[in-house]
Amino acid sequence: MIAIRSLYFFSIVSVFLLSILGTGAYFYVQHRQRQKYPYGKWENLLKRLGSLDHDHIALIARDLVFEPDRQDPDDVALDSDQLWQFLGGMQGLAVLERNCTVLVDLVFYVQQWYPEALLIAEELRLNAREVQWHIDRLRGAAKTGKLKTATPDYLQQAVAIYYRMSCEVLSLYEQTNLPGLADLQKAL
Amino acid sequence: MHLSGTFLLFWAAGLTVHVVLFSVLLVRHRATMFPVFTTLIAMNIVNAIALYEIASHGSKHTYFIAYFAFAILDLGLQLSVTYELAADIFCPTGTWAPDVRNGFLILVIASLAVAISLACLPAPLESTLLGRLLDRGNFFSSALQCELFVGMIAFSASASLPWKTHVARIAQGLGFYSLIGIMTEAGHNVLPFNTTLYDTLTYLRMTTYLVCSGYWIVMLWMNAPAPQELPEETRKQLFTLQRRVEYDLRKLRSLKR
Repeated sequence: MIAIRSLYFFSIVSVFLLSILGTGAYFYVQHRQRQKYPYGKWENLLKRLGSLDHDHIALIARDLVFEPDRQDPDDVALDSDQLWQFLGGMQGLAVLERNCTVLVDLVFYVQQWYPEALLIAEELRLNAREVQWHIDRLRGAAKTGKLKTATPDYLQQAVAIYYRMSCEVLSLYEQTNLPGLADLQKAL
Repeated sequence: MHLSGTFLLFWAAGLTVHVVLFSVLLVRHRATMFPVFTTLIAMNIVNAIALYEIASHGSKHTYFIAYFAFAILDLGLQLSVTYELAADIFCPTGTWAPDVRNGFLILVIASLAVAISLACLPAPLESTLLGRLLDRGNFFSSALQCELFVGMIAFSASASLPWKTHVARIAQGLGFYSLIGIMTEAGHNVLPFNTTLYDTLTYLRMTTYLVCSGYWIVMLWMNAPAPQELPEETRKQLFTLQRRVEYDLRKLRSLKR
């Protein structure tokens, strides 16, 4: 007869084996997926794009780009509260951070037909790092209670770079005449 | 000491397979790429011959002492092989990939803790200290190897590393052997010595090892697929980009001053 302790031992070993096999299988499937779709799956890429109000993003970016003395008809001077409201608060900032990575991946995806898109992907990667730098400063300021003063310096910069990145991606898809352009315009 | 016909058959098959594998490692110049793995195989040849001699002419006690000494050496070498494979994958230029180094260290510590805990669980059946140590040591070794190899698979998949290189083939063989080893050693830890089921588990482990050795012979004899190269145009573009980044960086540094 099997002793109780041996029974426990076998149960724990079974759990251990199952978790080992499960982990191995998970990573194996991931590896196979990567082999099958080395540039990622279009549907998954689009799914990863978080929702941000594109009009508000454009408004924040243009507020930084156009100086008040240029008397642009759409020109508005936004204060800190308005900027955060338009972006959707810290949650919106997190979405913007994640979307930057997806934008780089979207250009990487184009490389399967146009290898020369690599240069744009690298440029966007640098832009994404710049956005990350601004976001880190904002998070640091939030921790020390100086978010309001840091907002005009860092938030508008981050949003403006993100806006330029999204325009570049859209223009690349337009130029290369890719079938996913309509979906992308909707998602962005 | 009396040796059964089945045991002698496994002994002869094991020795033959090890000699062939060792020759493949030398002839195909893999020994310079995997010196620790080659040492492990050479040690297994010495192990097989020495244990046979002791079993034929020595006492049972001497046999167990020798078996225990070789088992410790085997465990040490297997762990060194794991390190050799990990270093080959994640530290090919002499510097550990920064995003893997800490993860690998955590993996080693966590694997050690889990393997020790698992090895302490079963109630000891062997009356001698040496026998108990052997049973637990074998189980500990299998659990640890298995965890380390699954961890390495996870890191390799995350970093999109190729799975058809010689390193990957050795790791796959060792990982599979360890997986079967956990099951057989779990049985050895709860079953009484010299029973039919106990012996069957031993033969299952030996058969698995023979299969893995056969896999290594074939895979190490064949050449690994050539790594993919960047197209010339892309390489030039990357070179230009690198130069531009260097220039920008220099400009930024001068601004900082």
